[in-house]
Amino acid sequence: MLNHQTAQSVIDHGISLGADFAELFVERSQTNTISTLSNQVQSVESGIDFGIGLRLVYGTKVLYGYTNKPEGDELKRILSELAAKDLRDPCVSAFNFDYRQIKDLHLAVRTLSNDSEVESKVAYLLRADLAARAASNMISQTRGSCRQKEQHVELFNSEGLHTGDTRNYIRTSLTSIASDGSEQATGSWNDGGLMGWELEDDISAEKTGTEATRQALVNLGAKPCPSGRMPVVIGNGFGGVIFHEACGHLLETTSVAKKASVFHDQMGQMIANTAVSAVDDGTMTKQWGSINIDDEGLDTQRTQLIKDGKLTSFLVDKIGAEQTGFERTGSGRRESYKYAPASRMRNTFIEPGDAGLEEMIGSIDKGIYASHMGGGSVQPGTGEFNFAVTEGYYVEDGKIQYPIKAATLISTGPAVLKEISMVGNDFSLACGMCGSVSGAVPTSVGQATLKVDDILVGGNA
Amino acid sequence: MTISDQANQVLGLVKAAGASGDLIIDQGESLSLKASNGELEEYKVSSSQIFGLRVIKDGKVGTAYSEAADSDALSSLVEQALTNASFTAIEVHENILANEVNLKTDDSVLCPAEEVSIDDKVNFALQMESDLAARDKVKNVPYNGVQDNTTQRHIFSSAGLSAYSKSRMCAAYAYALIEQGDKNAMEGIGQAARLFTALNANDIVDRAYTQTIDILDGSPVPSGHYDVIFDEEVQASLFGVFTMMFSGKSAKDGVNPMREKLGESIADTRLNITDQPLSADGFGYQLFDAEGTATQSTPLIVDGTLNTLIHNSATASFFDMKTTGHAARGPKSTLGVGLHQLEIAAGSSSQADLFSGKYLMLTDLTGMHSGANAISGDFSFGASGFLYEDGQRLQPVRGITVAGNFYDMLNKIALIGDKQFWNWERSALMPHLRFADLAIAG
Repeated sequence: MLNHQTAQSVIDHGISLGADFAELFVERSQTNTISTLSNQVQSVESGIDFGIGLRLVYGTKVLYGYTNKPEGDELKRILSELAAKDLRDPCVSAFNFDYRQIKDLHLAVRTLSNDSEVESKVAYLLRADLAARAASNMISQTRGSCRQKEQHVELFNSEGLHTGDTRNYIRTSLTSIASDGSEQATGSWNDGGLMGWELEDDISAEKTGTEATRQALVNLGAKPCPSGRMPVVIGNGFGGVIFHEACGHLLETTSVAKKASVFHDQMGQMIANTAVSAVDDGTMTKQWGSINIDDEGLDTQRTQLIKDGKLTSFLVDKIGAEQTGFERTGSGRRESYKYAPASRMRNTFIEPGDAGLEEMIGSIDKGIYASHMGGGSVQPGTGEFNFAVTEGYYVEDGKIQYPIKAATLISTGPAVLKEISMVGNDFSLACGMCGSVSGAVPTSVGQATLKVDDILVGGNA
Repeated sequence: MTISDQANQVLGLVKAAGASGDLIIDQGESLSLKASNGELEEYKVSSSQIFGLRVIKDGKVGTAYSEAADSDALSSLVEQALTNASFTAIEVHENILANEVNLKTDDSVLCPAEEVSIDDKVNFALQMESDLAARDKVKNVPYNGVQDNTTQRHIFSSAGLSAYSKSRMCAAYAYALIEQGDKNAMEGIGQAARLFTALNANDIVDRAYTQTIDILDGSPVPSGHYDVIFDEEVQASLFGVFTMMFSGKSAKDGVNPMREKLGESIADTRLNITDQPLSADGFGYQLFDAEGTATQSTPLIVDGTLNTLIHNSATASFFDMKTTGHAARGPKSTLGVGLHQLEIAAGSSSQADLFSGKYLMLTDLTGMHSGANAISGDFSFGASGFLYEDGQRLQPVRGITVAGNFYDMLNKIALIGDKQFWNWERSALMPHLRFADLAIAG
């Protein structure tokens, strides 16, 4: 995407300005998004993102710029502007790029650049709409979407690295809106992966539609949620957002290096219940949060974050490694060329245990079963986090009583990790988008169903 | 090629294909600085542009965008948009408005000239970070920044519209992390202005420090129902979460819960909400919308009654009315609607009345992107703030949740203050509202 000689001369220019490290991140992404409303195609949108991110590093200070213009003179002008206040004695670069071909562990078949396959995707979404409406006559509206993205990245740096990768993302979703004439409630279902539209072979439009409607109907009949401190059983799959928010962000060197994480000085210590072992794995084949190489050109890896309750690793990018002394973990990620990379999660999950759902529910006198979770957020400095329940049930005397609505769970990372007492065996992963300092990146969250003995539930009862 | 040449190329191809269309060209330049331990940690500059095309052919609408601007890329942009249109359902209500006008905003208002050196901006960032870090018990200032952003927008249409706007926003923010024993707290604040010299680092430092140190010893209050006042920052954010209630687009799509309540009472009769695009004090100041329609003051809720929804030309056509000047479209998006800047009219309650008795003043809400459902109105957020009685602070409060239904809450307004406040982003002008009987869990 960028001429080899141009890249070399721009990197040389960066080094001649006295930088310790210079890098070019070139991106060209193609997107296609189809939206349906009811049984009609509401919109088809597509586009090309193209740009170059330029990074100079002086010590641990990062200078970053980006542009849509790939001409060498423009790229050098930006570097000169960036380095104007940091000029040092010029260094002489002594490297030649040697293109490193990476092994694609997630080879996509039905790619966007080959064929956007709008008809096939529309047919899928309309089948899902049909299934959603067939499941209940209380569905007043459905919204469907299918978004595909093909991202080409190319990296050059002053350590002689020249490599590239192609990432194919696909995601489908359907939301059903149920109405009883006075109130409305929603339910949704989505699928996705690091692959092409061959995702179609792994998913079911009928399941998508019926699940979205089932959840909307549950929520339509839901009662206000009781509030206060109580035990909560959190469902598998997207329930893993609890670990993502409660702990994952606090293990990124983005916050660790600034001592803005409550775990910054806890390496090797017991930070969780012994029932908890957790992993961040970028290597899982065709998983939504996987990558071949990170956005700094390093092979990604499987990183054991917590083993039997003990903190064993942080998530470390290049700058984080220099600031903290920990080895890089292939976790430097960014949304696009508009962001400098930062340490970020990939597929993050609590490893399965052996408890059963009935056993966990049966152990509760009064509490909540949060079968499906929504998003959340965390303040790394204090570890205070929150996340929303999108489908939940009140539990009393060891039995599910009735569905509840509008519940939020809040706690702090250190506290909740010690309250996870039981982990089930029904492990699964789910797709999400994670927003942080380097933009929104695809991440998976996951877990088996687990029990938190004590957490604050915010409800409206 | 100039911007006009590029627009002529694109719209010429659109017309040659028997279609109509409009083209948005956004260009931006930005500077972003962050400091850490008295040194500059990040220095970021950018220049960008993006072309966003909407075409309408045979009643079908398609959109496409491109960040590449060479002649081939622009030709491909038109082909993509036309191809996308071929897949969509016929939309009889969406047309390119017959706005054959030249529009231009006043740079002296939206983008005033100013000479501030890079050194001055760097020094501002360093000073703000180091001054806050030097305060008592502050461990560090993990999040801080100074930004200077200039954006330009051109809109051209096949009907002859040529609109141009250039605006600037300078902003600064800082968050302090305070630790004392096993307690910690992190809070922060920002400022925004059109002139860099209007930013005040000392004020940011003082307010960020005060907010953080004041909340440090916070603890939950017992679960129950409380009168609640949201401060000017979180109240604006809270209303922002539920602005879909005014959307004519959502009403057309059948998801706006207020779609059949025009002319009905939906809120306390003392509540008056207006969209005020012509108030130049705010960053939502806008003279024309994304279709080139002149904006106007739009009363949304009058004495508690829903007066109108906001419309672009397509949603207005669907409801057989005129556009309200709320068309919104980005280069990557389809035609929608958007509010410019919300104003809630001041009420009659004095500050003494507003702050009488026992109430919670909530200064932070968390999980606002995930803990709210704009269709049902239900919400549940993490919260912190202060418990007051008769204006006297009883205790800082942390680790609580506030939950309810926003649309029900509009009928639970106990008092409306007689003074209005801008939020720091200057997107909303509101008085304090005191809500009765909200569910708090602690």
